[in-house]
Amino acid sequence: MLAKVIGLSKAPLVAIIDDDEAVREALSDLLLVLDLSCRTFDRAEAFMADYVPGRFDCLITDLSMPGHSGLDLLQRLRIIGCAMPVIIVTADTSAATRSRAMRCGAYAYLTKPVSSEALARHLQSALRHEGPCSGSDGRGAPPDG
Amino acid sequence: MDGARLPMASPVHKAVTGGHEHASASPPGMELSDFASESVIVSDEHGVIKYWNAASEALYGWPVMAMIGQNLATLRAPGQHDVDHASALLREGRWDGVVRRRNLAGAEVTAAVRQIVRRDATGTLLDIVEFGRNAGAMSDAASLRMDAELQAYLAACWELDTSPARALLDTIAEQRNRGIAVDFDQHPEWVEELLATTRITAVNDRAVRMFGAHAGLEQMVGQPVGVFWPAENRSVLATLIESVAGDRSRLETRKMVSSGTIRNPTIRAWHCAEPKPPGIVFVTINGEANDDRTSWELQASEGRYRQLIQYLPTALWQADSRRAGEVIDQLKANGIRDIGAYLDRNPDLVEHAKDIVRVTEVNRDAVSLFRANNAADLINPVRYIFAAAPGLAKRVMVAHFEGRRNFFEETRILAFDGSIIDVLFTVTYPVLPEQLDTTFITMQDISERLNTEQQLRKLQADFTHAGRIATLGELATSIAHEINQPLAAIVTNGETSLRWLARSDQNIEKVTQLTTRIVSSARRAGEMIHRIRGMAAKNEPEKRLIDLNEVVEEALLFIRHEIDSKSVALSAMLGTELPRVMGDRIQLQQVIINLLVNSVQAVAQSGQPTRRIDIQTSIDENGSIAFSAFDNGPGIADGNMEHIFESFFSTKDAGIGIGLAICQSIITAHGGRISGSNRPNGGAHFHFTLPVPTIGGPDSAVVGFIRPVQ
Repeated sequence: MLAKVIGLSKAPLVAIIDDDEAVREALSDLLLVLDLSCRTFDRAEAFMADYVPGRFDCLITDLSMPGHSGLDLLQRLRIIGCAMPVIIVTADTSAATRSRAMRCGAYAYLTKPVSSEALARHLQSALRHEGPCSGSDGRGAPPDG
Repeated sequence: MDGARLPMASPVHKAVTGGHEHASASPPGMELSDFASESVIVSDEHGVIKYWNAASEALYGWPVMAMIGQNLATLRAPGQHDVDHASALLREGRWDGVVRRRNLAGAEVTAAVRQIVRRDATGTLLDIVEFGRNAGAMSDAASLRMDAELQAYLAACWELDTSPARALLDTIAEQRNRGIAVDFDQHPEWVEELLATTRITAVNDRAVRMFGAHAGLEQMVGQPVGVFWPAENRSVLATLIESVAGDRSRLETRKMVSSGTIRNPTIRAWHCAEPKPPGIVFVTINGEANDDRTSWELQASEGRYRQLIQYLPTALWQADSRRAGEVIDQLKANGIRDIGAYLDRNPDLVEHAKDIVRVTEVNRDAVSLFRANNAADLINPVRYIFAAAPGLAKRVMVAHFEGRRNFFEETRILAFDGSIIDVLFTVTYPVLPEQLDTTFITMQDISERLNTEQQLRKLQADFTHAGRIATLGELATSIAHEINQPLAAIVTNGETSLRWLARSDQNIEKVTQLTTRIVSSARRAGEMIHRIRGMAAKNEPEKRLIDLNEVVEEALLFIRHEIDSKSVALSAMLGTELPRVMGDRIQLQQVIINLLVNSVQAVAQSGQPTRRIDIQTSIDENGSIAFSAFDNGPGIADGNMEHIFESFFSTKDAGIGIGLAICQSIITAHGGRISGSNRPNGGAHFHFTLPVPTIGGPDSAVVGFIRPVQ
């Protein structure tokens, strides 16, 4: 549904990172009902291992996880020149963390339990307006200009 | 003392009023003495006569008027030298013997007398009362023997069997018959043989005390007299034995050399009359004992002893358990070995013992402990002592049977006002050569101590609980996260389901799956809330058989987020197939959480590029279950090592320092040990062990409450 609205020739792929399996599965099912494809990862390192510039159109990530945190990952992505929109979904409600995340270039900062309406809206807007990752190496330019 | 109870309170009054024609003016008690058939003479400590009854007038011929104010010594018959018994009388309080006195006509009167010293409560001498009767009709020898027998009451008495020495005695007699002088000082071999063959057949208490050293009566009887007889006086005894053994009519008296135990002793010996078999010789020794344990002294020390017991600040009972002792001896003779089992089969015997063992004396504290009116309330069979203590009487009997010296137990008594009092109960059983009729029971009121202990336990429980609440507070974010995650999943799953249901292509299968996930997440949140409630609740600790690994895993749930958010890498190596330990799940969880919170805070402060905590569970070389938490933090500062388990010791600005103190008190209460140390390559290592209960314990059952270490 959403994909049709966006009107992309290639179905967008969303990455989800959350160490909590229940949350991960819930988000994945939500995306399914929104007609979005997704890949789930239980930690930042797993995502990075699978990361190729241009593969994912959007990232939904938790902040607090074993190993690297969501913020670490966000910073890392920006350092390597990835502009992929990153939606933070976290239980951390502190204003400090929120502003840090936004400064680091988060597309949106949602707190758990997240409203599906809000998440859908942000996803829609992220996928419509933001281009996929344009790595500094020049690879991964949007297939449809 | 018999005399002390005689109603003779005022002899002085009699002395003033003079003869018995004024007897009606005398106190009623004196009238009775006036008419007594025995001579009754009352004198002061110097012998000045203060009272002289009608029977005295008849015996000695002297009228009362003539005798009041006279000294009794003036009546002494000429030639009687062995009358210096005054010191013995004052020492012993009593003297019995034969005296010879002049009568009015100048003739000699032989009287068998008993003299008794009367003293007031403070021990000051009041007067000396003498009871006398005529012994004049007897032969000299008979009166001497009577004297000896009377005086034997005060003496150390020995009954000796000389018959095994018959051959030697015959040899000596033969020499004497041949006109050869018999001098034992010249024949030490005769002395030794005679004393080695002559056996003790009986001794009295005083002889046991004076000569028995550490032996009791049983150890003396049957032994050669030479074993116990003092070395300085062996030939004297040999001479006496030889002298009387062959002649039933003789009575020998000698002065002995003062020996170690006795001063200025007089020894008497005579051959026992029928029906004793021939060869039985009776030996008595009168004198002052050097250890001052003569009867007057004994009475005085007994008095002091009673005084001591009366005012002892512990409730004390003296009981006569000899009849129970006889029962026990009988059981032993019948081959009973397992007395506990026997008494379980024969509970009547325990009940019987409660009636036959009697309290003979109690002190003031005993009276007040039992809320009794007076001591007489407690001078009863011991049954009342055991009224609130089931099984105690049996255990006391078992200890008695096993020949134990003491018995201790914390128990309860039922006081006479109906109150139940916690006491520390002890029994001290008599052993030879002590008097077997004195079993001592003491009780100490420990209700206050138990109250204090209970308060202490409560305080400790409060403290532990406060520690848990503080930890929950510290972990609030981490705990909230554990609740929030399933809630987030529930909300998302619920909304996703609604979206499916709103679609035209309803996916019922998917909705079913989502609903199942909602249920399981809700359950997970519920369980976490249950755990928090367990930690927050103030429940009585409960010991069950538990798997320490499960406790560790549950503890990790509380702290997982804390570990993640501080970017600590945690590894857990949990031993497989660990035996279960007996413990309180919540308290052990508290210990593990506390240790891990400490470790997390330590590594977070350390500035290490990688923060590590490794936990392990295992079974150690002693068969105990061990838990270890290693971290790569800064470790424990040297000066702090000894203090880390102390209350209110903290190296953290915000810490109140009860965490490790609580860990220690919990582990100690579980019978385990906890320690902290530094790792060789940096970081701290906290370690605790818990004992594994021996098999046979009730499985998973509540077996009791954790009590602090006493």
